[in-house]
Amino acid sequence: MQTRELFSQFTPFAFGMFYLIAIAAMAAFVVGLARHILRYRRARPAGVPVDWWAGLRRMVDDVVTHRTLGRRDPYAGTAHRLIFFGFAILFVGTSTITLEYDIVEPLTGLTFWKGWFYLGFSLAMDIAGVMLVVGLVMMIARRAWFGLAKLDYVRRYRGDTAPLPRATAWKIEDWVFLVTLLLIALSGFLQEAVRLLIDRPPLSDLSPVGAALGRLLSGLGLDAEGAATVRGVNWWIHGILALSFVAGVAWTKGKHMVAAFGSLAVRDSRSVARLPEVAEDEPAGVTRMDDFSWRDLLHLDACTKCGRCHDVCPARNSNYPLSPRDLILDLRLLAQSGDGAADPHGVIAPETLWSCLSCGACAEICPVGIEQPVKIVKMRRALVDKGEMDPTLRGVLETVANVGNSFGEPARKRGAWTRELEFPVKDARKEPVEALWFVGDFASFDPRSQTISRLVARLFNAGSLDFGILFDGERTAGNDIRRVGEEGLFESLSAHNGAQMAQAKFDWIVTTDPHSLNTLRNEYGKAVQGRKVLHYTNVLADWLESGRLKVTRPLNKRVTYHDPCHLGRLNKEYDAPRRVLRAIGCELVEMPRSGDNSFCCGAGGGRIWTPDPPGVEKPSHSRMHEAAALGNIDIFVTCCPKDLTMFEDARKSSGHEADFLVADIAELVAEAVELRAIPANYLPELANRIAESLAEKVTARVVPELIQALTAQSGRVLAAAPAPVPAAEPEGATPKPVTLDAVPGEAGEWSVRTVTPAVLADYERPVKSGLRVLVAVKHVGKLGDEFRFRPDGLDVLPEDLDHQLNEFDETAIEAALQLVERLGEGEVVAVTIGPEAAEPSLRKALAKGAHRGVRVSPDAASPADPIAVAALLAGVALCEEADLVLTGVQSSDFANGATAAALGGILGWSHAAVVVEMQWDGKGRLDITRELEGGVRHGQSLSAPAVLSIQSGANVPRYATMRMIKDARSKPVAEAVVEELGPEATGRRVAAMDRPPVGQAAMLEGSAAEVAARIAAIVREKRGG
Amino acid sequence: MGGILVIAEHLRGTLGAQTGEAIGLARDLKARIGGPLVVTVIAGDPARYHADLALEGVDEVLGVAAAEHFDPAVYEEAAFALALELKPRLVLLGHSVNGMGFGPALAVRLGGSLVSDAFGIEADGGRLLALRGGYGNKVLTKLDISAACVTTVMLRGGSAKPPSAGTAPLRLVSLDLQSAAARTAEHKDYVDPPPADVDITKAEFILSVGRGIQDEKNIERFRALAERLGATFGCSRPIADSGWLPKAHQVGLSGKVASNCKLYLALGISGAVQHLHGMKHVETIVAVNTDRNAPIYNVATYGAAIDLFALADALEKEFN
Repeated sequence: MQTRELFSQFTPFAFGMFYLIAIAAMAAFVVGLARHILRYRRARPAGVPVDWWAGLRRMVDDVVTHRTLGRRDPYAGTAHRLIFFGFAILFVGTSTITLEYDIVEPLTGLTFWKGWFYLGFSLAMDIAGVMLVVGLVMMIARRAWFGLAKLDYVRRYRGDTAPLPRATAWKIEDWVFLVTLLLIALSGFLQEAVRLLIDRPPLSDLSPVGAALGRLLSGLGLDAEGAATVRGVNWWIHGILALSFVAGVAWTKGKHMVAAFGSLAVRDSRSVARLPEVAEDEPAGVTRMDDFSWRDLLHLDACTKCGRCHDVCPARNSNYPLSPRDLILDLRLLAQSGDGAADPHGVIAPETLWSCLSCGACAEICPVGIEQPVKIVKMRRALVDKGEMDPTLRGVLETVANVGNSFGEPARKRGAWTRELEFPVKDARKEPVEALWFVGDFASFDPRSQTISRLVARLFNAGSLDFGILFDGERTAGNDIRRVGEEGLFESLSAHNGAQMAQAKFDWIVTTDPHSLNTLRNEYGKAVQGRKVLHYTNVLADWLESGRLKVTRPLNKRVTYHDPCHLGRLNKEYDAPRRVLRAIGCELVEMPRSGDNSFCCGAGGGRIWTPDPPGVEKPSHSRMHEAAALGNIDIFVTCCPKDLTMFEDARKSSGHEADFLVADIAELVAEAVELRAIPANYLPELANRIAESLAEKVTARVVPELIQALTAQSGRVLAAAPAPVPAAEPEGATPKPVTLDAVPGEAGEWSVRTVTPAVLADYERPVKSGLRVLVAVKHVGKLGDEFRFRPDGLDVLPEDLDHQLNEFDETAIEAALQLVERLGEGEVVAVTIGPEAAEPSLRKALAKGAHRGVRVSPDAASPADPIAVAALLAGVALCEEADLVLTGVQSSDFANGATAAALGGILGWSHAAVVVEMQWDGKGRLDITRELEGGVRHGQSLSAPAVLSIQSGANVPRYATMRMIKDARSKPVAEAVVEELGPEATGRRVAAMDRPPVGQAAMLEGSAAEVAARIAAIVREKRGG
Repeated sequence: MGGILVIAEHLRGTLGAQTGEAIGLARDLKARIGGPLVVTVIAGDPARYHADLALEGVDEVLGVAAAEHFDPAVYEEAAFALALELKPRLVLLGHSVNGMGFGPALAVRLGGSLVSDAFGIEADGGRLLALRGGYGNKVLTKLDISAACVTTVMLRGGSAKPPSAGTAPLRLVSLDLQSAAARTAEHKDYVDPPPADVDITKAEFILSVGRGIQDEKNIERFRALAERLGATFGCSRPIADSGWLPKAHQVGLSGKVASNCKLYLALGISGAVQHLHGMKHVETIVAVNTDRNAPIYNVATYGAAIDLFALADALEKEFN
């Protein structure tokens, strides 16, 4: 029976040495592995359900097919396949030797490593070795000559030109890894060759490669003695290399060989679509490494630095300071320090986290199932919790918290887009409907998107769909709010929308907004109760195919289609829009990046609310170039309100205005089915736009040539004649002249009636123990564009007002908080004069950090009367023995700017208005700086106690997260009852309220070029140029 | 008894623009209200302001010698003492930073009515009504000040025109301001905003940008456009507050008034009152804002509700 002798001609010492080294290597592997596992055990729970059985089956599938590796990179896929299977066979084969020699034979005396099994083993090992070598050489060639930027780890997206030291180390590691494996394989072949040369077994052990190499070596002059020497030395080289490799697996890049199996087994293919929740006992976000889940930590170790995510990331492609791979690698370095308390924000800058568009492109392509966006959102949650975010974004979050939409529009205007329809839209809360249309923010409020919403409504109506909307009951679905990291606000939005849906009777949900679709379908849980959540393209595709909507005028347009990230990649809806386009007779030309490789428009992850950092090329521009490169596209089709907005802008600003149109798929469908309900002026508009675009295309091509030809002929450049200026007269720009028609009535005896502080009944409050700063806050009413007056004409209708905390007061709250924080002692008391309905603003002040609240009901006085308010505040200031009272510089409703000085006057305290800086030790005089007109700053010092109005912009008010808002519910709020308020403090009365007289500009209509020509003419005329 | 008392405001030797405007309104009202029009100035050397305050319609200028720099306690005390002597029907001052600093305090000492940020006073069937905004200037509010024997009115800048020079005599009065001593503010210094290469007040042609430009990195683009058009580059308050442009570029109440401007191009500016204050008087105003309801269109000569960036592109081509 053919076999091979192990440890041929070994001394007992060498034999012992080998076993010692082998055991040490395996120990190193086991210890390394154990360290990782212990680290994972210290981390938080998975946060998402892990289905081990299905996961393992899919993992085996992924590994066997290598589908995740071959995707979009067949070369690397093939190379890795060769390496993987070559290595796996060699590993298993080598293990059978150990199995027989060290386990089966010593225990049972049986041997199996002989005969045909042995010959088969030899052949398999030879083939596997070749696969491994070829794969490794392919990878080495790729690294050495393919010039792949992603593999040099230089962070060009943030302006680096050279790799960081750690990246250089990674590069060395990559090379050592490949070369070590190659040397193991080659030394294995060499060992085989010399053994065959010496032993000359029958059939050469069925080892064709070893045999061929042996023949080559002997042909090169290697004699038996030389072969024996090589055999002795090379055995050790091969053995030690292989064992070093084993030892290093858990400590180097090699750990992906273990971690990737785990990572693939627990892969959550919906990780970006359905973010993990924050458990009650968990911190809001990740501020230490062990705040991550064990899955997160496993992901970090599974990363092979392959750079697929780096390649596809729209942020990285646009030079935002984010590469998902580099983020994972930086986190991994920190994780491997083993310090669970280490703060990941120390290695990942906030601007990196804010760069993410939550498009899911990275997680989609990651061959080992890493969920990069989840890490980013978890870290963003911590930033939001600390209020560390872009002021614009913070403003949006506050707006959403206040009014339930990001446009800052009153809730009752949410359904206003339906008013122009020829048919009523049902209120799903009032009558049962088949389909509940969740409209979403953009589709409800953005003027361009509103036209699409109306068109979709008309299409639904044409298809006789029984649908309804939630009108003012709907708030933003919260998809992007959640991806920004404001989990508390998301919870409150989803709870609200869920409660509204619970009031409605419907069978399924439809939406035009993929962002809303995503969160409703994946994150709303009980509220949706297993009902289908469909995109309008699902509905339209079915209708067009079944004939429920008939195509009467096929479009015959050449179009390209942009897959919205939230519809395609996140929800795997790739077909419906394409079915629609086919049905209406469009020729669809796919962009290079389409389907699951679609390229984000740049609006996701809350980026639509965040200004872009300088130096980035907007992702939407890149997309426009991509579409234009297809050549001769008529229409760039979208089916997401945010896409429409982003690409409409980008088409103009990226220089492709003449190349194609951007249109929503509903516009095309409406045209193809010749929707009768479209107002007469709408269809021509689209038709005109198409014609215009064609004309522009022609112009763009012909005009330059024409000018060139003319110039060549006449030698002069033609100057465009300025367009005529409309002869409209400016009117009403000057205020009405002030006139008195009658002598005012007798005002009675002239006398001074000095206002005194209100007297308040005693109310519950702590004994004063230190500094006490009062902040006066106002619950201000905000009017939308549409409002009505009360029948008596003295005020507007209360239902037309939306109330919120006066934004100017937020600066005052912040100034107070910063003062007590700086002094390390003191209490901030928020005071409001207003009815019970004003309490939310008081609570908001408490959420931001005020310690307690006091509310005074202004029964006898109007909250719009600054003197009455000041007299009531004076009563509180005396009760509280306040040391300092701060107010906002004015209220945004009546803008009297009078409270601080009036209060100071009533109390007889020092006071100052429009203060931008304040320094105080809490005892002596206050040093303040006031901002005068034109930005001059006036430094003064005042005695305490004092009243100051704080100028807006003096600080950046902290953000109250929804969590802080919830916590503030348990802070004490006392109600102070007015016992006495002098008549001199009240009595200012509104005589009438009216719409202000307005002038009206002569509007210049037309395209940008036409308007510009007219403005240019005005400028030239006025400037005499 | 009766009449109007105007309280002048000055900074570093120059009268505030709003003082002349307050005198203008007072002059128009004088005949209806009856009584004298008295202007008082509280300063280290009140006489130096005499000529500038003795405008047409003014009956007397009262000089009160006090510390030169604004101190709310001193202004309040002095104005209160003079009001006790003059018993005016109206006390007028500017709705300025300093006006906000002492006006309401004076009003609570006097009692009666207070109208801040007023932009006019009118009579209606025997009633005296003060006009001001409300709800973010979306409504016009009329406050009845007929019943009060004295009303403190803080006048919004630009609401009236200063009269031409007159001949009112100066009377220096000495007042005992001791009771204000405990509340007095100690003057330390004035710090000018960082110098800038623009002077909004002198510019004849201004191109201003507002929130509509969206992004700090668009500043350069519009700066270049302004240069190309030969316009001085201005901005609204949010732009200066965000630090995208130095304060010197800001047009408006807390910025600079475009006093010599003949042509004003407002790009992406909605037209907050604060901004309108600095530019609404300009002869020709062209406003570009996608919101057709933007208040800027109430003062603009021409408007265009189109995309700012598309327009900027087209304008660049026009002025190539």
